[in-house]
Amino acid sequence: MVEIAREYTVDELMVVTLARQFTNEDIVLNGTVSFIPVAAIMLARATHAPGLTWVAGAVGVDAQPEPLSGNTLDPTMWTRCVMYLPQEHMWSYVHRGVLETFCIRGAQIDKYGNVNNTVIGDYARPKVRLPGSAGMGDMGSLDKRIFIWTTTHTPRTFVERVDFRSCAGYLDGGDSRERLGLKNGPQLVITNLCVMDFEPESKHMRLKSLHPGVTVEDVQAQTGFRLIIPSEVSQTEPPTVEELRLLREVIDPRGMRKLEFRSTAART
Amino acid sequence: MATGKANKIVTLAEAAALVRDGDVIALQGMGTQMSPLALVRELIRARKRDLTIVMIVGGIGLDWLIAAGCVRRVIAIIVNLDEFGMAYAFRRAVEAGEVFMEEYSEHQLFSRLLAGAYGLPFMVTRSGLGTDLLALHPDTTQVIRCPFTGQEVVACRALVPDVAILHAHRADRYGNVQFFPKPIWLDADVFPRAAKKVIVTVEEIVEDEEIRRTPIHTGIPYFKVDAVVEVPYGAHPCSLYPVYAFDRAFFQEYAAASRTAEGTRAFLETYIYGPASHEEYLQRVGGAEMLLRIRKWE
Repeated sequence: MVEIAREYTVDELMVVTLARQFTNEDIVLNGTVSFIPVAAIMLARATHAPGLTWVAGAVGVDAQPEPLSGNTLDPTMWTRCVMYLPQEHMWSYVHRGVLETFCIRGAQIDKYGNVNNTVIGDYARPKVRLPGSAGMGDMGSLDKRIFIWTTTHTPRTFVERVDFRSCAGYLDGGDSRERLGLKNGPQLVITNLCVMDFEPESKHMRLKSLHPGVTVEDVQAQTGFRLIIPSEVSQTEPPTVEELRLLREVIDPRGMRKLEFRSTAART
Repeated sequence: MATGKANKIVTLAEAAALVRDGDVIALQGMGTQMSPLALVRELIRARKRDLTIVMIVGGIGLDWLIAAGCVRRVIAIIVNLDEFGMAYAFRRAVEAGEVFMEEYSEHQLFSRLLAGAYGLPFMVTRSGLGTDLLALHPDTTQVIRCPFTGQEVVACRALVPDVAILHAHRADRYGNVQFFPKPIWLDADVFPRAAKKVIVTVEEIVEDEEIRRTPIHTGIPYFKVDAVVEVPYGAHPCSLYPVYAFDRAFFQEYAAASRTAEGTRAFLETYIYGPASHEEYLQRVGGAEMLLRIRKWE
């Protein structure tokens, strides 16, 4: 009998929701400032997907790191790995599709799952210069199954059209991604309010489940475009007591995942 | 430049003198890891101007160079202070139009450098298809068709930096550079091969015989290296795995100070222009107590 947790926080719900997307057969690579994905990968490996292959910190193949302590590309992530993966090898595996799953966040996300982390406004003289596209400029074009996460579900983050397409999502919707020869693409969007997926034909973002205490109206009010609202919207499945224990006591006792909720986090 | 088997040991000031105003500098650094920051501080004190800085992942050293007015152009995929947040001097300078950011996806930039390393006109990738990055640089990235299959790929024009600067674990006087483990990140791998000149700072200069006992660790051979400088803790405040960790307190101090231009200037005065030598710098940033802390990876 699986015991469902009664008290948990939104960061914990996001980690658990993302963890449940990973399967035993997945080969996952994590990027920079990715505490929620890394905690989710570690949780999946500790629960339903012990065989999940993880290239920790983009380098440590099948690493067995200590609890989260520093940034997510740090050498401490590579502990007890079977190989330090040279980055040129990593890119060949990414190109060939051997490494197939990646998680990204960004300052702006549009209704077709395109993501901006480059500039707000004009490129050469931006209103806001953001950090840059980094791996998302690659992964969206290289056929990855992409999980998008954000801790700031607001109309500023979820926009009709991104100012700059740093990551190729479903482009202009419909079959536009496919026509360009790009496979896979964004699978789910996990936020501090809800979980969303993409309607299979139009590739338009669609509400999937609501976190506790959040209404459809709340989500729509915090989204800068009209979401597809299906007739049935479920509640996001809560964590189990065991998942929470692992996350709080074994994987991330320092609460590094909460760093992603800092006020500046949306810009970094 | 001397690239044969000659003694290439120089001082930090002599190494900085090899960099000319206007040069394209490939600067190693991965967030909080492996960056030749003692040499970066020396370049700032030498008041270099109009540099183009190439980094895969731009970080604290780049932010200092920008704040000090040394930089005109940045070629990178991202610039930030990793978990410590935004690189504010970079943000301010780009928003003011003082510095231009030439942004690529990671594999596009790697492809440009790889083409440079091979002496080929370009390399191809699929990275960046469908993004707005492609339209930014028609001079350096173009969609072309494969002559065999017709598949669309992105041609990435060769990039040959004037100088590559790196920090590593150790080297001998001839410039055989060793890493423990071998180079992992793209920059230590491709920068020395792509650049015209290569300057490496190391924790320790060892005898040639020691290198011959452990060639498995040699990442750059002497014939591609122009100058070597012995600088213990030369990556501070970044880490040099597995010898020392990054200095968390120092990163936090800079992240807070750099939120304003005045705070950044004061920080540079205290830690970069102030100390007369690298030894004095280490004293000022916490001395023996701090070094013990970062060696324990706390």
